Amino acid sequence: MSKDEIKMTELDADERRVFAALPCEMPSVPEDEERIVQSLRSEGFFGRRRFAPRPALRLAAAVAIMLGGAVIGSVIGARAGTRTSLEAQLARDDLTIAERILLLQRAGSAYVQAAHAYADATAQTDSTAVEVARQVLVGAAHAMVRSGLDAGMAAGLTSVLQDSTVRRVSRQPSQVIWY
Amino acid sequence: MCVTERAALADLSDSELIRRFRDGDEFAFRALYSRHTPRLRMIVWRLLGPRRDETDDVVQETWMAGCRGMHRFNGDAKFSSWLTTIGIRRAQSRFSEPTHATTEPLDVAASVAMDGPLTAIDLERAIARLPDHQRVIVVLHDIEGFTHEEIATQIDIPVGTSKVTLSRAREALRRMLNDGVSHVKG
Repeated sequence: MSKDEIKMTELDADERRVFAALPCEMPSVPEDEERIVQSLRSEGFFGRRRFAPRPALRLAAAVAIMLGGAVIGSVIGARAGTRTSLEAQLARDDLTIAERILLLQRAGSAYVQAAHAYADATAQTDSTAVEVARQVLVGAAHAMVRSGLDAGMAAGLTSVLQDSTVRRVSRQPSQVIWY
Repeated sequence: MCVTERAALADLSDSELIRRFRDGDEFAFRALYSRHTPRLRMIVWRLLGPRRDETDDVVQETWMAGCRGMHRFNGDAKFSSWLTTIGIRRAQSRFSEPTHATTEPLDVAASVAMDGPLTAIDLERAIARLPDHQRVIVVLHDIEGFTHEEIATQIDIPVGTSKVTLSRAREALRRMLNDGVSHVKG
């Protein structure tokens, strides 16, 4: 008898019912899952290309991050600079006495720095540098007198400045070497 | 990974999870594993018969072989069928090896002869005592619902052989269940 001619043994209804009642699934064991994941990990299956986008994408991302950082930095810097600039502080009328003292110190320091820079840049080529610096200082002394802040100091300072001017005018110009 | 993200992965299709796994996503693999292992484990457990204590080893071998060959899965077949085929072949590879178990599992060794109505437990015991080649066909055809053509492809036998083997396996099951005959001719 060939295989095609064989009379198949069919299941009866009761057998079919029991076959259909057999469970189709058996719960998996968590330890087995971890065992397999460990094995796959040791073979390098995980995390290979997860953070390896295409080069063009990486370049675009780098440029975007750089530009974003630059924009954010400039905005934050501009805001901070505007709020704390000398001019902004001078325009405020809500400063405390202590803050105004600090402001005066800052302005004074700024004057000294500006005078130094001006002198460095122009003393050998522009004789008006010293005169400008002196005039500013004299102006400051006068302002102190008008404000009642001098306590006699402004007069002395003005005198010193005037004496300095007289000595400088009467003296022969000397060779000054700036380093 | 939080519970919400795991739930989102569980909603993805097999093909999407496979794509992510190929990209090295561990959680995509875990989602695939959770989805397909319960059925795979049940099939392997039944196929192994008296070697049931090797079930978890065979399941692990199946997943490892499946993952290593995942690049060959082209999506023509269902992933579950593809994985099951690997599991069947892995289980069959154990048939040629001597059983490591010194005694049969208790549920297999117990007498399968019965007087009352047929129960699922009786049937499981009888299936476990079938010869390996008959048990494979019964499990795949009568329990898992594969056609003879699919079985022929899965275990690389002619379709006719699958039919003949199934017919003889059913007769053997009946004898065991009705008469308590433990010796079954192939």
